[in-house]
Amino acid sequence: MQPPILTLVVFTPLIGVLVLLAIPGHNQRAIRWVALLAALTSLGFSLALTGYRPDGPEFQFRESLDWIPAFGMGYRLGVDGLSVVLVILTTVLSVVSIFYSWDPIQTRVKEYYATMLLLMVGMLGVFVSLDLFLFYVFWEISLIPMYLIIGIWGGPRRIYATVKFVIYTLVGSLLMLVAILAVAIAHGNASGQFTFDYLVLRGFSYTDNLQALAFIAFFLAFAIKVPMWPLHTWLPDAHVEAPTAGSIILAGVLLKLGGYGFLRYSLPLLPDASKSFAPIVIGLAIVAILYGALVSMVQPDLKKLIAYSSVSHMGYVMLGAFVFNVQGLEGAVFQMISHGITTGALFLLVGVIYERTHDRLIAHMGGLNAKLPRYAAIFGLFTFASIGLPGLSGFIGEFLVVLGAFRFNAWVAAATMLVVIFSAVYMLWMFQRVFFTVPSGWMRRFWPSLKDMSRNEWLAVAPLVVLVVALGVFPGPVLHALDAPMQRIVEIVNGSSGLTSFQLPW
Amino acid sequence: MNDVNDLFPLLPELILAALVLVVITADLFLRRADKWLLTPITVVGLVLAGIACPIVWGTNHTVFGGFYRVDDLSVFLKGATIVIGVLSALFAPSYLASRRLPLGEFNAILIFSLLGMCILASSSDLITLFLGLELMVLPAYILAGFHKTDRYSNEGGLKYFLLGSFASAILLFGTSWTFGLTGTTHLSGIAQAVSRGETSPALLVAIGFLTVGATFKAAAVPFHYWTPDAYQGAPTPITGFLSVGPKLGAFALLIRVFVDALGPIRADWLTVMAILAVLTMTGGNIVALTQVNVKRMLAYSSIAHTGYILAGLAAYAAATTTDARAFGIQAILFYVLGYGVMNVAAFAVVGMLQRDTRRFGGLGSFAGLGARAPWLAASMVILLLSLTGIPPTVGFFAKLYVLVATVDAGIGWLAVAIALNAALAAFYYLRVIVYMYMRDPEADPAPIDASPFGSLALGLSVAGVLLLGVFPSFVLDVLHASALSIF
Repeated sequence: MQPPILTLVVFTPLIGVLVLLAIPGHNQRAIRWVALLAALTSLGFSLALTGYRPDGPEFQFRESLDWIPAFGMGYRLGVDGLSVVLVILTTVLSVVSIFYSWDPIQTRVKEYYATMLLLMVGMLGVFVSLDLFLFYVFWEISLIPMYLIIGIWGGPRRIYATVKFVIYTLVGSLLMLVAILAVAIAHGNASGQFTFDYLVLRGFSYTDNLQALAFIAFFLAFAIKVPMWPLHTWLPDAHVEAPTAGSIILAGVLLKLGGYGFLRYSLPLLPDASKSFAPIVIGLAIVAILYGALVSMVQPDLKKLIAYSSVSHMGYVMLGAFVFNVQGLEGAVFQMISHGITTGALFLLVGVIYERTHDRLIAHMGGLNAKLPRYAAIFGLFTFASIGLPGLSGFIGEFLVVLGAFRFNAWVAAATMLVVIFSAVYMLWMFQRVFFTVPSGWMRRFWPSLKDMSRNEWLAVAPLVVLVVALGVFPGPVLHALDAPMQRIVEIVNGSSGLTSFQLPW
Repeated sequence: MNDVNDLFPLLPELILAALVLVVITADLFLRRADKWLLTPITVVGLVLAGIACPIVWGTNHTVFGGFYRVDDLSVFLKGATIVIGVLSALFAPSYLASRRLPLGEFNAILIFSLLGMCILASSSDLITLFLGLELMVLPAYILAGFHKTDRYSNEGGLKYFLLGSFASAILLFGTSWTFGLTGTTHLSGIAQAVSRGETSPALLVAIGFLTVGATFKAAAVPFHYWTPDAYQGAPTPITGFLSVGPKLGAFALLIRVFVDALGPIRADWLTVMAILAVLTMTGGNIVALTQVNVKRMLAYSSIAHTGYILAGLAAYAAATTTDARAFGIQAILFYVLGYGVMNVAAFAVVGMLQRDTRRFGGLGSFAGLGARAPWLAASMVILLLSLTGIPPTVGFFAKLYVLVATVDAGIGWLAVAIALNAALAAFYYLRVIVYMYMRDPEADPAPIDASPFGSLALGLSVAGVLLLGVFPSFVLDVLHASALSIF
């Protein structure tokens, strides 16, 4: 029998939490080491998933146990290429953010690491569940730790930001729960088998009415998480107030839960509705891409700028997901991974300067290149990755999405291509104001004491540097792993007829 | 007719009745320093009554000439009653002691009320029903005014008594109409009578009175306005009991009247029940949003929970198959049990912060609790998440149960209303977490009352909330049998 790799990946952090509870709170060193070891162990197990065979069965490393048989709920786990890459992204970014927190987090250390590890459990669980109910449970479990991380270790307006984050997300996810139940019950009534098994529910054709309503409910839940314009307003607040590690996870992984939800659930479960609603979603995605880029240009705060650029970048993900061809879909996933790495790294780097000056205003920076050359170099690397410079990971995702969009409609592709120019504008202008020009009066006060990146900061960012270059130069293995799952989604959606009996009001 | 065999299925009730006598007698003979022994005595007696429940499980027949029905549904409700009773008996002593309130009388009155709930759950006749109801609520009135020297407690007790009597009168009026129209007080006889032919306007009037009376007891909007005052005035652990015990009784009453007797004409009362459910959950939540006192907030939120449970009754009425109907009943039963455990415990935590008798459970008492008392705060977090309905807690599974029942019954709009309300409720429940973990303690923090009994009960409740949330399977079979026993 195979070892239950997925269970080990998901629940190793939980074991870490239990160990943490037994350590006295003043022993901070032990707490940090236990948390790091738990995350590293989980990362180690997740690397075993690279054994995924792209030509093998659709879902691999499967585990299945009865959980609540009376409700048809099971502990069903399994991964395809999509899950594998996102699981590894999650474990890597979790290790990075736990490691990065070593010095910045000095209050309530034990609680902090326990919440971080719980957050890991929730996020990983979402990516490996093959049961809609189990998926929902993990989805909700990932919500509360982030609420606490922003609310306890965040900035001055943290309570406003975190409550906004939770309420937004809960509205979407509770409606999604109703949709999940409706889908499972519709299937149960038709087939006599009441189950939440994803593989069973996916093959069933639901009535047009149910598909339309369920799609809207799923859409709300996922679009809030992505976040999609105009449901994005919680994101800048959350990012600005979150501690650095919280921002890394929020941008790096939590937003991907939304994209993953679309690819795993909305499209394959409700293909007709997806097809019929696609024009609206694509329209919103284009608005998001444009809006995010334009608003980024005028942001005075570094974190806010990166947050709004996330809205733009995640717009590409949505666009790629809803043009329904393999290039677009693979581009969407690649963009998610690349955005996770790049934006995660950018938030980390903003954290580096924030630790030194306790300020993030672009106007308060300037001339840092002279004083912190190595920091400037790394920051520059990720700036270019974010713009989508060829040779770095950002390029592959954007290119594939635009390619997919071109096959869908040349004008859509042209519009999105233009935005790449905007992204160069806001990123490079930001880079210029922070690292070149003359230091601001504010910055001069810190000038004598400014130190370049510490060893720990280097170690934290190093894996991301390696990944951003490696994925930019060798995207092949990842794209290869995505081929079969994305091809399957394309077949399911394009094979559907769209909604026929459901009358859209427009 | 009444042979001794009829008494055996009443084992839990008989034990409770005997326990009252034991507690009163023991109270007379125990010296002041030994009064604390009353709590273990009560708890052991309640546990014995709890053990009696599985023994009478599966009886499923009426006794005493059709006046009393021991079916699995009633046995489940009795079990839930006793769970609530045990927790209340464990939570109360230290709060009562710090206010010099008599423990023996509290325990005896509490057990009387529990006995009333058991009788109510088992009644198969309007007369027994009323008897059980009054046996449940009369002690509850006394408990609400238990703090004799506190004017808020007096006010709450008086309001509860007046409005409760008023509701009882309306209910009684409804039963007399029903008797007049159907010629019988047996619930099964009424069911037969109403299923013949069209529903007459007079019967609709009767249903109207019964609905008003019963939802008054359950504290549904717009018949809820006695609750906040009664709940806020009562000693806090007693409030915990009042918010779940009589509520359980009210839902037993609703099931008995609306399912056993009026089940055949459920189409006539479905719409009213569904609208009441939405009004109740929304009204309760909106008012709870504005509360800055945690005790009062929990009081209003208990109204919102009534709404969710009523949705289960609406699901019963809307369902087209027996299975789906039974599912609605199961949802009610599971919710009542889960809600009972989490709400009693949440009120008890508020009570533990009222060791200083001048504190009234304001949000400020919770400020910085996460740093001051990590375990108490962590327990409260789990209880609040459960009340919000976040997995993996019993509160989540209970909401899920109701949602499944409503979607299954084809009233998805009610499910959407529940979902939106649950998100709304998150705002005020999470606010307490904000105070506990994200604010600094007050300059003069509330002293914490950590008595052994209270801590034990809190531990049990939290364990139960998590256990029922993660592995609900082991009660699902029991629920299934309970719900099917009345069809």
